[in-house]
Amino acid sequence: MRQEPGSRMNRMLQDAAVVGIGRTKYVRKSGRTTLAMAAEAARAALADCGLTAADVDGFTCFGTNGSAGPSQVAHAIGVDDLGWALSISGGGNIVTTTVTSAATAVLSGQADVVVAYRVLGSDTRYGKALGTIHAEGEGQFSAPHGYMVPPQWFSMYARRHQHEFGSTSEDLGAIAVQQRLHASQNPHAIGRDVITIDDYLASRWICDPFRLFDCTYEVDGAVAIVITSAERAKDLPHPPAYILGAADANRFGGSPYQWDDMTTMFSRDTAPKLWARTGLGPADIDVACMYDCFTFTVMATFEDFGFCDKGEVGDYFREGRATYGGDVVVNPHGGLLSEGYIHGMNHHFEAVLQLRGQAENRQVPGAQTALVTSGAGPFGGALVYGSSQL
Amino acid sequence: MSYPPQPAPDADTEPFWQATADGHLEMCRCQSCGLWLMPPLERCRKCGGATAFEPVSGEGRLYSFIVQHHPAISGYLTDLPYAVGLVELDEQPGLRLPTRIVGAEVSDLVCEMRMQVRFEKLPGGEFTVPVFAPVEASDALG
Repeated sequence: MRQEPGSRMNRMLQDAAVVGIGRTKYVRKSGRTTLAMAAEAARAALADCGLTAADVDGFTCFGTNGSAGPSQVAHAIGVDDLGWALSISGGGNIVTTTVTSAATAVLSGQADVVVAYRVLGSDTRYGKALGTIHAEGEGQFSAPHGYMVPPQWFSMYARRHQHEFGSTSEDLGAIAVQQRLHASQNPHAIGRDVITIDDYLASRWICDPFRLFDCTYEVDGAVAIVITSAERAKDLPHPPAYILGAADANRFGGSPYQWDDMTTMFSRDTAPKLWARTGLGPADIDVACMYDCFTFTVMATFEDFGFCDKGEVGDYFREGRATYGGDVVVNPHGGLLSEGYIHGMNHHFEAVLQLRGQAENRQVPGAQTALVTSGAGPFGGALVYGSSQL
Repeated sequence: MSYPPQPAPDADTEPFWQATADGHLEMCRCQSCGLWLMPPLERCRKCGGATAFEPVSGEGRLYSFIVQHHPAISGYLTDLPYAVGLVELDEQPGLRLPTRIVGAEVSDLVCEMRMQVRFEKLPGGEFTVPVFAPVEASDALG
């Protein structure tokens, strides 16, 4: 049998695991620095797994602006000799790379214990672009037209999907309604008030075909996770969440508007790689933390990962197949749409919590595998966590 | 008063803006294999050949479009809503330009409709930007 490219490294990845998780509160306006919030999340993640600053020798994060860097945060929590520090430029597309980079640092012996985090402060808001703007690169062809923020990029995709497959506002709304219902059981979520499809349809247009409830809830906050070897994980308090495999994909230089088929996203490339590398498929997944900067991101990536056919996502959600008692529980925490926008790092927190069986009244019974996707449009990644190795 | 984002041309894109200033639409093309490139590149991404800017017809089809209602971007905080589309030029499948859509009611827009380039001064600077209108509207306005 031909070996899938990347499969050797992916078999190695499961010798690393997430052993600790930590986070701050998610609030609209914290009045705090990103350094303070990242330090709090890192401390919480280490305390969660019974480790201290003295045990940590690696730090990594991703971001595009306004984020405290790995060496700063390590210093702030008392790490004196940080052996490995990696700051990755990117947004939701790069979360998988951040986590797998931490894992490979551990597996290659560059670090023993790595903290990976993401922090967002009030100075970092992606939904608006105000002030004097000089648009460089491919943005110079789009920004002058008043087209330069993520809700615009991905509503453009949604329109094309509606044109080709007849998907509707009600289909997008079914995703928003389901995820809000999940968030209503999550005390950490910022959007906990249950909404109906009528509430969704009555919400104001942001960028037609997107309404308010199609868009993520931008917040201040931080999430940190601790990654170490499976060997070391045995001595730590919680059941490890093993990294069973991962895959990334990038096309069109990351240009959201050059992506060829806007009824799909990066997941068109990522999903087959991930399934081949792990030997798993959609039927094997108990929890799906789908990256959801917008409802349509869930729709396109859910189709690409093979949970259902093109144009069927609305029915899938309406029939209860994306929630408890259905085929797979999608974003039990409420996702970026309702828990809050920690750029997808909060999906990793939730996945680990679910595999440990610690998600309290939103626990997915018997959860053993969790898919976590990251990104939208032309680039992104995904990984699978398991409560046991393959 | 705020102004729209201004283009920041570089060595690879400067000829595009020189052409629009003269009321022409020119796109970057490989002089060896003929591939059109958007965004522009110094060398062809397929064959590595030298590139140059060449005139295009300025006609294409509307791949997708949005209608922005929320005030989110400098220069576009009033006179809402406005429509932005992606026009695929006839010269090559996938040769796309993002563009404001003019000369049409937003309720009349549909994917795949035929579009024709026009040019407008971009407030706040010296740039002229290509915008697109449905072909019927362009004809009606001569």
